[in-house]
Formats: sequence, structure tokens, C-alpha cells
Amino acid sequence: MKTDMSIRMRTMLYGLMCVLLIPFVFPTWWMVTSSVKPISDIFAFPPDLLPRTYDWSTYQRVFELQPFAQQYWNSGYIALLVTAGTMIVSSLAGYAFARIRFPGADAIFMVVLLGLLIPAEVTIVPLFQMFNQWGMINTHWPLILVPVFGAPSVFSTFIMRQFFIALPIELEEAARVDGLGRFTIFRKIALPLAKPALSAVAIFTFLHSWNLFLEPIVFISTPQMFTLPQALTQFTDAYGGAMWNIQLAAATLTALPVLIVFIVAQKQFVEGLAHTGLKG
Amino acid sequence: MANVTLSQIKKQYGNTPVIHGVDIEAADGEFVVLVGPSGCGKSTLLRMIAGLETISSGTLKIGDRIVNDLDPKDRDIAMVFQNYALYPHMTVETNMGFSLEHRGGTKTEIAERVKWAAEILDLSNLLKRYPRQLSGGQRQRVAMGRAIVRDPQVFLFDEPLSNLDAKLRVAMRAEIKNLHRKLKTTTIYVTHDQVEAMTMADKIVVMNAGEVSQVGAPLDLYDRPANRFVAGFIGSPSMNFIDGVVENGRFTAPGIDLETPSFTAGETSRQLICGIRPEHLVIGGEGISAEVSLVEPMGSETQVTFSLPEGTIVGVFRDRIAAKPGDILTLGVQTDGCHFFDPLTDLRVE
Repeated sequence: MKTDMSIRMRTMLYGLMCVLLIPFVFPTWWMVTSSVKPISDIFAFPPDLLPRTYDWSTYQRVFELQPFAQQYWNSGYIALLVTAGTMIVSSLAGYAFARIRFPGADAIFMVVLLGLLIPAEVTIVPLFQMFNQWGMINTHWPLILVPVFGAPSVFSTFIMRQFFIALPIELEEAARVDGLGRFTIFRKIALPLAKPALSAVAIFTFLHSWNLFLEPIVFISTPQMFTLPQALTQFTDAYGGAMWNIQLAAATLTALPVLIVFIVAQKQFVEGLAHTGLKG
Repeated sequence: MANVTLSQIKKQYGNTPVIHGVDIEAADGEFVVLVGPSGCGKSTLLRMIAGLETISSGTLKIGDRIVNDLDPKDRDIAMVFQNYALYPHMTVETNMGFSLEHRGGTKTEIAERVKWAAEILDLSNLLKRYPRQLSGGQRQRVAMGRAIVRDPQVFLFDEPLSNLDAKLRVAMRAEIKNLHRKLKTTTIYVTHDQVEAMTMADKIVVMNAGEVSQVGAPLDLYDRPANRFVAGFIGSPSMNFIDGVVENGRFTAPGIDLETPSFTAGETSRQLICGIRPEHLVIGGEGISAEVSLVEPMGSETQVTFSLPEGTIVGVFRDRIAAKPGDILTLGVQTDGCHFFDPLTDLRVE
């Protein structure tokens, strides 16, 4: 009797989850299948779940119309540098805020957190002027420096700080007795134990940088320097109309690494958030 | 090895004093236990010796060196923490050799020392395991291994057995004591468990509210507590305290009339507190008439709670007691079983 109930409950739960999945899965499915459909089939109603005919040439056109491989590389290396930079900055800052008592620490942390409340659109003009003065317009520097020292890094610092606060202080005291200095304790004890939080930071930061849109369109002006989100806007015909199937093929290629990262690192992503006490 | 000397050590957090001028001497090779209730400052004092807390004033010497301002690493001490503080990402072997590695030990030297410590603590077959793969007792032994591997001048233990179950605690108590016997390293051990203190210490320091209440050998503290706090803290069950009057060589209180050989006949009337240990009460003696209110047979002994006209007292008897609640019994006190304390100062009165 009890088993019947639990099977029924389980079936209902799975059914509910399948329904909830539709709004998340359908757009991705539509993007992938539409990338190989002829344009006329893309907006057919009701939509076809599978293409009637497969047109793989759209993927070839993506690389013909734009320096897509170069743009892919741009997005990739920028995201990796931003990820590495943010991991370094946020782990050091998070550790300092969690463990080092210095005058005004709490006030400074509050000020840093306030950075999260300011939308990127508010600071983009002053940033443009600053990078313009530094001769960095139409270079990738703004796309690296803004996230590493801006809002994404603040969020990551918060994650790291929460993690380090939760780390038993006795571990560090034991290390002090064992003869380690502050930085060695950070490097050899705190940081290796912070892997779950660091993984969460890495995934967040990589995704944020990979998807960055506002900053590239403000700071970058030549196709060779474009990143992928910016490049996606360029698949238009002579009249400015979207070449939907090619654009969706490019979008599929753009989403691919993100999907792979998430599928591979799903466990660390969830663990990292669980460790920091944050809820997604 | 070295002696540890604390002279007028004080600690303040802001304007709040927590340690009020403590003087303690731990002789070379001695096993000193700091014992006291939670919040009495014993762990703070130990952390000050370790260098994990600053010393507000006073002098701390290890050997001939004043170490007040030295970092923990320069004090030549090793500490075992309450929650073991083993590095979770390192194997037992790496945990134990970690401090030597950072003090410039060669690989061979580290391996030899770790092997030596592992043999002493029966850890040889656990060296490749991670702390999460060990039981509580094994983790405790690794924590000790990490401490002894460096051969420090002083061992500091901060309530190291409090996370273990009762049976394991007894076993580890013996193990720590054996280790001390082998190594003869000066040891300062913090606990709130007076049984641990009594069984392990060469010298006990009883602390209360940031002050030292009494220092002495375990049995001295038991036999001649300097004040009411120590009398109540050392011994389980606690000492019974009865308010009464001493006059003409007799202590009297409602329901009690005891001969007190320590006071001479003819002495004028004096208000005192009489302390009697539960195990020093004798059924069938003279002096106390009390009603049995609770009988708790423990197997090896029987614990009986008696009602007096004012309050209750507890007795512990080796014999099996046939009495039941409501029975009236007469009790006596073993020779020298009465301790007297001044009701105003709480100090022992001879």
C-alpha cells in the first residue's frame, strides 16, 4: 500500500518536473533544430519538433560571413583570463574580509557589496571615457579588466568570503603553530580547501564573461576583435534583416561550450553554492 | 623540554578583563592540568601560552625565554585542538610531517620522524589515509602524532577528549598519560572534566572566573580544598554543603549535630559551612538524621539522596542499600570527613 503510494507520488513528481522543464528545454531545442531548417520552416506554426529537411550548410556560412573562428578564440581566451583573474582577486579579497581584522573592514566590505547594486549601464559611459584616455578602446583590455575588478568579482568575493568564514579557524591556528605565515596558510590550507567555492566562482565567471554583451558593443568596433555575443548580431542580409537559420547556427555554436561546462561541472556548481550558503 | 612560567598574566577584551593576573609554574616534564567550568578562562590561557591570543600584561616564559611577543611557530610548542584540526586535504602522513616540512626538514628526516611517531601511536597502517577515513579515536591519535613528531619543548592540549565517547575517552586518557611517561615533555592540558584532571595530572590548576582558585597535586585538592569552589568542583558527586554553627567542638544545623575534632571545645559560636563528600557519609553513624528521598543503585555503588530540614545531601555507599524513599536513617561522617568554609569569604577554615 505504502509502496503504491510512493510510486504514485514519484510518478506525479516526475510528471510535474517534465512540465516545468518545457520552458527551459524548448527554446534550446528550437534553436538547435532551427539552425538546420530552411528559413521558411523556422516560423511555421505549429512548429515542427524535428526539421523536415536538414540544411547543414548554415554552419559553413557562419564561418564564411564572419571571422567566427577568431571571434570564438577572442571569447575563449578572454573568458579564461577573466576566470583566472577573478579567482585570484576574489579568493584573496574574500580571505582578507573573512580572516584579517583591519580597521573599517566591515564598512569597506559594505562599500564593495554596493558595487553589486549599480547596473552596468550606469557606469559604462565613465568606463568608456576612462579606457579611451588609457588608449584601450577597441582592445580586449576593458573586457578583461571590468569583470575582474567589477561586479562579477564582487559577487565572487562574497562567495569566497562566506566560504572562508565557515572554514574552521582551528585549521589555520594549527597551521600557525606548525610554523606557517599568513600567506602560506592561505595558499596551503585555506585555498586547497576552498575548491568547491572556487569551482562555483570559476563557472559563474566564465559564463558571465562568455555571455558579456553590453561591454563588447561599447568598447569593440572591428569584427576581428568581436566576441561571440556581439558577433551574433552581425548575421544579417544586405537590408539588415536577420538571417535566422545562420544566426541560430552561430548561437548553437556559441552555446555549446557553456552547455559542456555546465554538464561537466554541474556537481561542483551545486556544491559550491551549497557550501557558501547561497541559493541560486 | 622546558618549564613554563606564567607571572601575573592578564587578558582583556576591550575593557572586559577575562584573566585577572594568573601565576602558574609548570616544571620541566610536568603534566599540568587546567581545569574549571566553561567560561573560566582556561582555554584562553592555553591559547595565550600557544601564542594564538595576545597577552594584555604579565610575563610568559618558556624555558629561559620570555615569549610574550613571539609567534606560535617560534615558541617551540605543539598543540592538540579540541576538534583535532587535521588538514582534511592531506593524508595522515602529510599531516604529521607538515610542520617539519615547513621548518626545513629533509625528506629522510621527516619520513623517519613520522615513522617514529606513527609507531608510538600505532598509526603505521593508517599513514596513507585521509582524516575523513578515520574514526574519532584515530583522528585524536593523528593529532597527537602531529604534535610529537616535532619534539617540541611543550605540549598543549585543549580539551582533546571532549569529542570522544565515554569508553574511548578512558582509553585515550591512558594513552596520553603513557605518551607523557615515554616522552617526558612538559604538558599543559585543559579540560572541564575533573575526572580527567584527577587521573592525568601531576599538578592541577583549578580556575574560576579568570582566576586561579587553587594549585596542587590531585589528592591534595581533593583532601584539602582551599575554598568552597574547589571543594565543590573536585569530586563527583559534588561535596555536600551545610550551613550551621560550630560551638564547643560540635557542628550543629537543623537535623545535624556532629563532633568536630578540628575545633577545640570552648570555642565561641561561629557560623560556618560544613562540606562533606558523599563518599564520606556512613550509614548507621551518629550526627545526622535524614529521610531517604531517592535511591539510585549504580551496581558498584549506591547513590542515595537524603532530605534534611533545610535542603538535601547526597551519599555514596559501596554497599547495596536496602532503604527506600521515606525511611529515616542516621548517618555519620568518616574521620576527617568534614571540611569547613567561611560563609563570607568561602575560604577553608582549619
